[in-house]
Amino acid sequence: MHSVQVEAVKIEGQEMDALMKRFERPLLQYATRILGDSDRARDVVQETFVKLQNERRAELDGAPAKWLFTVCRNGALNICRKEKRMTYLDQELLETRASDQPAPSEKLEAKEATGFLLRILGTLPPRQQEVLQLKFQNDLSYQQISEITQLSVSNVGVLIHNALKTLRQRYAQTAKDFLPFTPRIVS
Amino acid sequence: MKINLDDPNLTAFALGELTGAERTTMEQSIASSPEAQEFVAETRQLARLLKADYVADAQLPPERLPNVVAMREQRRLWSSTQWGSLAAALAIFAVIAAFAVTMIRREGGTFPQPGPSTVNLPVKAPLPEATIEAEAPPVEQTYAYQQPSATVPSDEKSEVPAAPPEVMADKPTADMKSYGYTGAGKTKVPAAPMKRMMSRNGVLEEGELPSRYRQDFNTATYDHVDENPFLPAASNPLSTFSIDVDTASYSNIRRFINSGSLPPKDAVRVEEMINYFSYDYHEPEGDKPFSIDLDSTACPWDPTHRLVRIGLKGREVANDKRPASNLVFLLDVSGSMMPAERLPLVKQAMRLLVEKLSEKDRVAIVIYAGGSGLALQSTTGDRKEVIMRALEELKAGGSTNGAEGIELAYKVALENFIKGGVNRVILATDGDFNIGVTNQGDLIRLIETKAKSGVFLSVLGVGTDNLKDSTMQKLADKGNGNYAYLDSIDEARKVLVQQINGTLMTIAKDVKIQVEFNPARVASYRLIGYEKRMLRKEDFNNDKVDAGEIGAGHTVTALYEIVPAGTGATDPAASVPPVDPLKYQSPNPNAAATTYVDPKRSGETLTVKLRYKKPDGDTSELTERSFTDNGSKFENAPADLKFAAAVAEFGMILRDSAHKGNGTLGAVIEWAMEGKGRDAAGYRAGFIEMARKAQTLKPREG
Repeated sequence: MHSVQVEAVKIEGQEMDALMKRFERPLLQYATRILGDSDRARDVVQETFVKLQNERRAELDGAPAKWLFTVCRNGALNICRKEKRMTYLDQELLETRASDQPAPSEKLEAKEATGFLLRILGTLPPRQQEVLQLKFQNDLSYQQISEITQLSVSNVGVLIHNALKTLRQRYAQTAKDFLPFTPRIVS
Repeated sequence: MKINLDDPNLTAFALGELTGAERTTMEQSIASSPEAQEFVAETRQLARLLKADYVADAQLPPERLPNVVAMREQRRLWSSTQWGSLAAALAIFAVIAAFAVTMIRREGGTFPQPGPSTVNLPVKAPLPEATIEAEAPPVEQTYAYQQPSATVPSDEKSEVPAAPPEVMADKPTADMKSYGYTGAGKTKVPAAPMKRMMSRNGVLEEGELPSRYRQDFNTATYDHVDENPFLPAASNPLSTFSIDVDTASYSNIRRFINSGSLPPKDAVRVEEMINYFSYDYHEPEGDKPFSIDLDSTACPWDPTHRLVRIGLKGREVANDKRPASNLVFLLDVSGSMMPAERLPLVKQAMRLLVEKLSEKDRVAIVIYAGGSGLALQSTTGDRKEVIMRALEELKAGGSTNGAEGIELAYKVALENFIKGGVNRVILATDGDFNIGVTNQGDLIRLIETKAKSGVFLSVLGVGTDNLKDSTMQKLADKGNGNYAYLDSIDEARKVLVQQINGTLMTIAKDVKIQVEFNPARVASYRLIGYEKRMLRKEDFNNDKVDAGEIGAGHTVTALYEIVPAGTGATDPAASVPPVDPLKYQSPNPNAAATTYVDPKRSGETLTVKLRYKKPDGDTSELTERSFTDNGSKFENAPADLKFAAAVAEFGMILRDSAHKGNGTLGAVIEWAMEGKGRDAAGYRAGFIEMARKAQTLKPREG
């Protein structure tokens, strides 16, 4: 009897599958961006889901996305700290550091990729990529992003604003390398 | 007030992040700044593109984490058993099984759902410029079986005498208009949607914008289809529709069934299923572009009813007699086209078509993604290597601006126009137009304008999860075109190689059919399918009203289910409650006496009238045939008719139609086997196989 009651407050079965299906890939991308390496990212995401299995439903507070990204982020940062890598918390450095992603045109030759914008996005500073992913892939609000990243809401706003500005500029510019014509954003 | 465009709050506003007073203040400052408005619009557009790219990215082959699943399965197993090695072995099996299950679910879970779950675009510029003006010629009210006034009071509309439309439009005096009884062609309602519309009783009602009009402006993947009802022949003697040679619905349904699920109801268009198959109609005589065949049999799903078939066959044109062709391939190379069954399939299909071309033909390639461009200048058909290389180099990436591509493709087609030849844009896309003119109504108006240039259109639909079926069907419909769905290279071979002349060469355009039923023989009737092709009776003689095209060698088939008069057969139309008597008119006193105008005609079941234009003509020609049902049994029906009946019933079962009668999938297979005939290409065998597969599938929810 007792165990049945405990089970009921946990996330299991179909619900768990649905969450995994929905968030596995976004979380992997998210963790890879922080760690710069997909093998460690896999470990972190796996650990995140294992924690989710043991988590009481009430702790999720109806916002599994926020919970998952927070846990995943903390896990990734722990690894950074342990391995004394450049930490993601060093915001100033990250803001100015160029991404080590290859430029879109180079990457294209290596592999046909999907979204054109996503490739340009890969050239943004990691911190900007992070907030864009949370905002546009996972539909989180500035407030939720602020809670996950431990940044202030206005800081999140500045990051997203700057990221979109750069994205818009590079969209037309980089497109020339990819397409035999100049695309334009039609509003 | 000068607004700072580099204000993060402006971005926050555009993304809907501001609330309360902050939001109000921002709204006020934006209202006075055009640059700020543009900035907000651009930011929102960029946000939509980003979201679309993230979604597309998620559809790439999944980087699964089988080890997560493994850990879960292992824990469960370990807690229930202590058989170490066995558990481990089981765990591995479980991983594979769980992985497989997830993959299957992934495959099956992404099918587009019809109806309300889809997003509505904001209704923008809802009134197209084109309107049906008062120029519609009066309806020819010379019924063969009834005198003009011989209508029953239940149908005010058809009682309105066909007064000259000018009078009704310009001088709305004390005529019936003041009571809302209006005549044909006088309301200024957009032409495009209007002409396809019928209300439930088959007659357009004034003052009510039919729902199909509103549907022109959403992105619903499959438009809702209301089936044609049974209509009493006495009050609705005329049935008018446009022919349809599209086949896309059939191959789309096949794709669903082959992947293990039944299609959504609104993806099933019965006429496109019937017309997927060729039937053995006689060749046109003389210089007529097509022939008409009429026959009948007992309706197999309700033996008290009759089934009448109208068959058209377009003139065959030998391959070497096909006039010079000026083709422009308009290929969608946006990110969503990446999967193998999209751009790579399109490239393969185009290669098949190019193989069939010769030095008198020309091919150009226009591609579109975030922008559009000419990938290949118009090149003669003998320079196959150049064309093939241009095709080879195409890669998918970026978002879609279909409208720009359409503009460019028609421009190239017109620059290379071959007088008296085949001039055609071949659009291959999954239909996901996500930049530029994405409003379906605007796109369709664009195509409508382009169609006037004399360039025809073929639409080849590809892809699964975001196939915008309704957009493509309408583009083909308005663009003087045909629409095929390519689910495989075999289908491409059928459309572009075996039936190349039918696909490329239009031999008659704006083909309309009007059937008049004799109420002495027919109590009520129902047109099976063609719901999206219905025309008003006034449209038949109005050459301004667009209709379907027929290609060389194409066959077009329409089936009517008829409730014979005076046989005591159940008449679904009879259960509809009668309309109230009129207050301001008395029923025509001669009504009862005026049927059977011509005693020689009293035994006829119906008369079929057909109007069509030559491919480059503006005025239509009329042909007419009468038909008398001889009451033959279904067992004795020609094989072709049995097969068509099987396909129709299969469609109705898939739609879970109220009119499917007592037919079952088993019966469908039986009739199709009897009707299989020679089936040289194996298409009919394919149908039987598909029906068998459908027997094993569970009906869809809802």
